[in-house]
Amino acid sequence: MASGVFRRLLPINRNYCNVRYASTRTVTLIPGDGIGPEISAAVQKIFSAAQVPINWEPVDVTPVKGPDGRFGIPQAAIDSVNKHEIGLKGPLMTPIGKGHRSLNLALRKEFNLYANVRPCKSLDGYETLYKDVDVVTIRENTEGEYSGIEHEIVPGVVQSIKLITEDASMRVADFAFSYAKANGRSKVTVVHKANIMRMSDGLFLRCCREASKKFPEIKMEEKYLDTVCLTMVQDPSQYDVLVMPNLYGDILSDLCAGLVGGLGLTPSGNIGLNGAIFESVHGTAPDIAGQDKANPTALLLSAVMMLRYMELGTYANKIEKACFEVIKEGNKLTGDLGGKGKCSEFTDEICRKVESS
Amino acid sequence: MAGAVGRINLLKLTQNHVGGLTACAKPFGCASMGIEPVPQRRWKSSAHLIKSLPKAKYGGRHTVTMLPGGGIGPELMSYVREVFRYAGVPVDFEEVPIDPSNDSNEDLEYAITSIRRNGAALKGNIETKSLSPNVISRNVAIRNELDLFVNVLHCTSFPGIQSRHSDVDIVVVRQNTEGEYAMMEHESVHGVVECLKVVTRENSDRVARFAFDYAKRHGRKKVTTIHKANIMKSSDGLFLAVCREVAKQYPDIQHNDMIIDNCCMQLVSNPHQFDVMVMPNLYGSIVSNVICGLIGGAGLLSGRNYGYEYAVFEPGTRNTGSAIAGKNIANPISMMNSAADLLHHLQLENHAVWLREAIDKTINVDRIHTPDLGGQATSMDVVKNIITFMQAKTKN
Repeated sequence: MASGVFRRLLPINRNYCNVRYASTRTVTLIPGDGIGPEISAAVQKIFSAAQVPINWEPVDVTPVKGPDGRFGIPQAAIDSVNKHEIGLKGPLMTPIGKGHRSLNLALRKEFNLYANVRPCKSLDGYETLYKDVDVVTIRENTEGEYSGIEHEIVPGVVQSIKLITEDASMRVADFAFSYAKANGRSKVTVVHKANIMRMSDGLFLRCCREASKKFPEIKMEEKYLDTVCLTMVQDPSQYDVLVMPNLYGDILSDLCAGLVGGLGLTPSGNIGLNGAIFESVHGTAPDIAGQDKANPTALLLSAVMMLRYMELGTYANKIEKACFEVIKEGNKLTGDLGGKGKCSEFTDEICRKVESS
Repeated sequence: MAGAVGRINLLKLTQNHVGGLTACAKPFGCASMGIEPVPQRRWKSSAHLIKSLPKAKYGGRHTVTMLPGGGIGPELMSYVREVFRYAGVPVDFEEVPIDPSNDSNEDLEYAITSIRRNGAALKGNIETKSLSPNVISRNVAIRNELDLFVNVLHCTSFPGIQSRHSDVDIVVVRQNTEGEYAMMEHESVHGVVECLKVVTRENSDRVARFAFDYAKRHGRKKVTTIHKANIMKSSDGLFLAVCREVAKQYPDIQHNDMIIDNCCMQLVSNPHQFDVMVMPNLYGSIVSNVICGLIGGAGLLSGRNYGYEYAVFEPGTRNTGSAIAGKNIANPISMMNSAADLLHHLQLENHAVWLREAIDKTINVDRIHTPDLGGQATSMDVVKNIITFMQAKTKN
């Protein structure tokens, strides 16, 4: 997908040579909770059917209590991702309102995954009310409203801090424009609320303006969050690439996913300074876990994004084509897509197509 | 479905024995809704000042503050005046223009005093062109200063407008004064900016009670709280906890909650699962705009801002519309709907019902649509149609 961009943005380090020249690469696999294990198994099966030169190293990221009493990701998992620099992750559970801090956030902080890329494209064969959606949302991934800094100043008054820094904003702005250029996109829309949050979103906006000067061939426009929400549901074809701070990105990327058919079909990649983790963004769906009803498409398409990042484009195209064909044919679709098929049948069908192509 | 809907009168006036009308300092509008006013310890409220000012109804005519704002605001306000004139509505407008490029807050303060005096206002979206971070957004200043703690947006589909979903009927109740719009920011060191989001138990409680009471009064069955408490555990966690506590006091009304991203996805695919939605400030902005987009755009719906003493009516999506200002293509329906809300609030029920029927006929029967709805009509065409209808009604 944007393999050229990713290559340029990765700092040259001693492990880079391994990534480039080794014949079989190892990828960290985080199966996740709920339906995570079954869809990860499905992806592994499809990859072996396509004979992709990848070894999987599964790790568990369930938080353990560290010596300081705080919960954190186990060291084994951190070492694995740092070594291999590429990860594929299934859905992780975050309890609401209490308990340990979101694991997704912890992973992002740990590996400096500063940008989240979510391409939302209408799928041939799965019709929604919106046709011809082709939007990429790029969202700042480490700070903003999700910095997790909250406190109760006096009983009944809670303050939550939204943090915007110049470094993080410049980083994601540069990435967004580079991505647009590398993928032949013509326009980047900066989504903000600088009329209300003048300093914070104002800083983000300024960084985006600076970044856009370095890419004069890419058109830039600035829009308020409310306007984008309003017009996105009326006519999504007017948007191309969107770049925005954390919270707006979260909401808008889910909104765009809803336009094309939901989180069960949307891939997502988190790009960091030292590597990337690709993930499926749907929930853990505990109600259907273990019943062979899960839809592995999101994780599969994220794995395809990963292959393109690793410059294994031929395998990526093969698997993606097979997956789209099976969805288009429509007789092995899982429950969330309106079919009655099982996860295993869906997976086997894709394997069949991959082997025969 | 844009017919007459019952409205809550927060400003019930009592007659004193001299014959004039005085507003009682105790916010008895809320008392009539069965909501006990929360003791006003912390926020700025001028209830003690209002006690001595008579509410603005003189000689049977109401006085209402008019804030045209920028962009298409002034022209829409002129349409409202026209319609009111032809329909013989006993309302006089006190117009307060606010200069967007002026950094001083004189105009703003005059506007706020005027609303305090009159009790009700009709408002466009006020531009704040100043780039200085010390100048607060004027719209936010008005809401915070007057403690308009809740914004209600009743979103109903128009049968005469092509949209992807029909028969949408959702009420969005949004906290209007705090949350992300607290406007407290600072730059700790160069390049690092902090913005505070404030959530208080009292404000969350008021909004939750309003939502449930609204649901009860209007026969709605379900209230959904929208939040992001999985990430913002303390702030949205507090909001959610308060909503759940209030829900227990209304056992007849179903309550559930949903995370904002899931909510946006569900709205786009199946908006009919929602009835009344209650949420903090920013999510309210997002959800209102998404639903307005689903129904047919920014030009249709009106929003009502309520406080204990004041009410301000404005177009639902708070857009300035600078790009189409002065071109006679702006959709006046949202302002007309706001005017109808105002009429209900002032208890001019007949005029309110006729105006709603006029809007209904124009959009759904005669189908006079401005370009934003895919039609060819000008703003004046729409307004003339409404005026003709009102004239016919008022002749009888």
